[in-house]
Amino acid sequence: MPNLTRRKVLALGALGVAAPWLSKASAQERKITVAAYSDIFEDIYKRTVIEPFMKANPGIRVDYMGMPTSAQNLGMLRAQKAAPQIDVCIMDVVVAKAGGDENIYKPVTAEQLPVMKELVPAALIQGVPGPAVTFDALVLMYAPGKFPSPPTSWKELWDKKHAGRIAIDAPPNLVGVGLTLIANKLAGGGDYRQSIDKGIQLLAEMAPLVQTWDPKPNPYAAVANGVVDLGVGYNARAQTISKQNPDRMAAVMPEEGSISQINTINLVNGSKQPEAALQFMSYALSGEAQSRFTEELSYVPTNKNASISEDARKRTATTPERMARMIDVDWIEVAKFRDKITEQWRRNVISRS
Amino acid sequence: MTVSALEANDAKRGGRSLLSALLLPIVLVNILVFVAPVANLAAMSFRSAAATGAMIEGFNLSTWSSLISDAYYWSMLWRTVWIGALITLVALVLSYPLALFVSRATRAKALLIVLCISPLLISAVVRTYGWMVILGDQGFLPAMLRSFNLTPPRLINNQLGVIIGMTEILMPYMILSLLSGFGKLDATLEQAAETLGAGPFTVFRRIVLPLSMPGILLGCLLCFVLAVSSFITPKMLGGGRVALLATEIYDQAIVTLNWPVAACLSVLILIVFGTALLFYGQLSKIVE
Amino acid sequence: MEKRYGSFAPSVADLSFSLGQGELLGLLGPSGCGKTTTLRMISGLVQATSGTIRVGGQDVTHLPTYRRNMGVMFQSYALFPHMTIAENVAFGLQMRKVRKPDIATRVASALAMVRLDGVADRKPRELSGGQQQRVALARALVVEPDILLLDEPLSNLDAKLRDNMRNEIREIQQRLRMTTVFVTHDQTEAMAICDRIVVMNRGKLEQIGTPLDIYERPATPMVAEFVGRINRLEGQWRNDGAIAVGDSLIRANANGGTGRVLIMIRPHRIDLAAAGEPGAGSPEENMVAGTIRHITYVGDTLQYAVATAGGLLQVEKATSSATDPFQPGDSVALRWKTRDTLSFSSEATG
Repeated sequence: MPNLTRRKVLALGALGVAAPWLSKASAQERKITVAAYSDIFEDIYKRTVIEPFMKANPGIRVDYMGMPTSAQNLGMLRAQKAAPQIDVCIMDVVVAKAGGDENIYKPVTAEQLPVMKELVPAALIQGVPGPAVTFDALVLMYAPGKFPSPPTSWKELWDKKHAGRIAIDAPPNLVGVGLTLIANKLAGGGDYRQSIDKGIQLLAEMAPLVQTWDPKPNPYAAVANGVVDLGVGYNARAQTISKQNPDRMAAVMPEEGSISQINTINLVNGSKQPEAALQFMSYALSGEAQSRFTEELSYVPTNKNASISEDARKRTATTPERMARMIDVDWIEVAKFRDKITEQWRRNVISRS
Repeated sequence: MTVSALEANDAKRGGRSLLSALLLPIVLVNILVFVAPVANLAAMSFRSAAATGAMIEGFNLSTWSSLISDAYYWSMLWRTVWIGALITLVALVLSYPLALFVSRATRAKALLIVLCISPLLISAVVRTYGWMVILGDQGFLPAMLRSFNLTPPRLINNQLGVIIGMTEILMPYMILSLLSGFGKLDATLEQAAETLGAGPFTVFRRIVLPLSMPGILLGCLLCFVLAVSSFITPKMLGGGRVALLATEIYDQAIVTLNWPVAACLSVLILIVFGTALLFYGQLSKIVE
Repeated sequence: MEKRYGSFAPSVADLSFSLGQGELLGLLGPSGCGKTTTLRMISGLVQATSGTIRVGGQDVTHLPTYRRNMGVMFQSYALFPHMTIAENVAFGLQMRKVRKPDIATRVASALAMVRLDGVADRKPRELSGGQQQRVALARALVVEPDILLLDEPLSNLDAKLRDNMRNEIREIQQRLRMTTVFVTHDQTEAMAICDRIVVMNRGKLEQIGTPLDIYERPATPMVAEFVGRINRLEGQWRNDGAIAVGDSLIRANANGGTGRVLIMIRPHRIDLAAAGEPGAGSPEENMVAGTIRHITYVGDTLQYAVATAGGLLQVEKATSSATDPFQPGDSVALRWKTRDTLSFSSEATG
């Protein structure tokens, strides 16, 4: 190498080392981070929503950050309040409300996000920064081998023959909070905003049959692994696990109806790429993206224009007869007395098991 | 003062400044990773949260006062302390003979020590899952009991499960502490006591036990602090029935997002640790 | 009182001796000879594989240590570090359920006996090595043991303290008429205070006897060599009872034998004279000619290495004046008494 001086060689070497960062830096102008659930949700959401979005918008790169729970999702942003590293959060409506109250999320309007006009009315919730992106519902999960015919009622949880074979996520977990409202309805407790005493009383009768109030790693695995025969969980995940282990786990929405669970999509206050973030939110709320997602994971779309195959629809909570049976619940109201429900469970439910 | 005394004084002064220079990095690191977060935590405990979990601006005493006036937290504090003490005691009783045997071993002593502490190479989470397999309804132990026509009691998802799991998980720490304390224990001392007419039990009570007290105290402090602060194993083996300070902090911080309450409880745990440390200091002095 | 050993584990085999009331018996031998093992068998800390140990006619072979009533003083003293001096000394009395006031009196008098008043409330680590030694002695004696067992008690002390302590132990032992077994590897120590000495080697008994017996009439070459410096010469028995060593004839304390023989003479028992002086060997005295090779001056003695026909002989003379009559290379005559000439026929040399 006669013409290469030592210095030139060093400079070239340094350039080589720096090259990956250089190319990254040039793309950083249009990079956003979406934080949502980890696990199955992450796999399917990336494949059915994020990747098609990036193909349609080559100028924007979307990074996915998987979070085990919505609360941890908000916790991450609390810690980053001065300089958020996340642009869009998909999370439970209760947590989104708390984050909105702390100004961690910026409320979005139909002017900024015209696709909101295509959403069902229930998707636009007063006081929550972003619109709903998925609906889900609580279901009863069971081990098919132990049931000659599928259970049809929540009352199955009170059947003594399941003693020690039931797994329930107790409050403050929202599954337990939802079950409280279901029990309150079963017991004829009236408006949950007034009193949940009858619901708690009924749950106290179930308590001695319960094996665990904190199934690990989760109630879906507890049923699928045969640790318990009955459990309560969310439909979308239950359907997916059931599809993977049809002999060991099945899910049913009992005839008394169920409680909805809502995930909203929220814009982070202080996002460095608000335009790109809004562009992504618009896509995530579109009928096209929601249909594709629902075909694989049985969440109910919030866009009126979503077209779902009959097969997928059967697995979601959206069949007309199921929709008719849903127990109306205002999660924002419920969130206000979540602490009280937790305390009632500790005093009167868990202590009896 | 003589010249040599002056020189010695100078040397001492020089040594002291060198010592502080050498200590500076660790002091800085400690301030950064320990003092600052704890101060932040203490400050957080003087904030409060709305019912929805949203934190409210400004500092006040409302979180503390609502916590202190709630009997539930007092009973939880008490439960945390007694379960921690019980786990420590069981770990001590189980580890003591083992540690004594290992410290007396002449052959393969290193191998025995490695065996005793090898569980530490596996994460506590994995070991706890192991206990779920052993103690669970369909697990190994209940199945064995059933094969003897016995009705197995509930071994998991309750206090018993937490105590069993935590004891096993903390035993390596106890064994290590005991082994370090057995250094003072010379077999000749026991022989001396024997020649003076002490039977095996008296030798243990009058010689072995008092001389291993430093190791016992250290092991107890370590195990108690670890038992009180661990939340993964109690959560996994407690089945939601065993509410301890640490699991409550987890719930408040990670599930309900009530960080001020979590911070208050964390400060409370620090007070428990401080008290344990104080006890340790006093007892150590007595043992000396 | 009697102790009898049959054949034991390899470390001590076929050992048998008895011990009189009030006697101080030394167990002497090189390290690893089994003397400590023997002591531990007496105390019960080691179980005898076979054989019996009797104390005052009672068989104690299978009694555990704590029922044997032996007072043991360990090489490392083994004072209990967590107890005060008084508590250490009181320990054995507490084990014997002695009443509290009596314990206090006896502890005080035991400490006074070893001249250790005023340290009762201190911890062992606050005491010097010599003081710890005395505490260990007091602790062993206060229980009035049947036998006092001392395991290398002086080896951790410096030379000056060692002599004092040695005499003190002997003095206390005599005063109490305490039957005592004293283990040591130091022959001077053993000779200085023991009534009788048991010399051991490789787990076997070499000789039992008074210090004088051991020194003057060693039973084996090993004993002779172990208790002091000594010259070795190889020779051949002649029919007339003399021994041929090279060209010289030597007479020994034994009156004849056959075959090869080992002769041993202590260096300080040999007289040195200038060559050519009159006189030859006689039945009472041997004489050999030689040449001085080296002279070593060690203060109170002069050591000469003298080449003779039978080999190199060490000769030791007390330095009586500053001048030395001999130079290396001088021809000299060596003389020594026949009765100082130890002979071991080859079967005895092992």
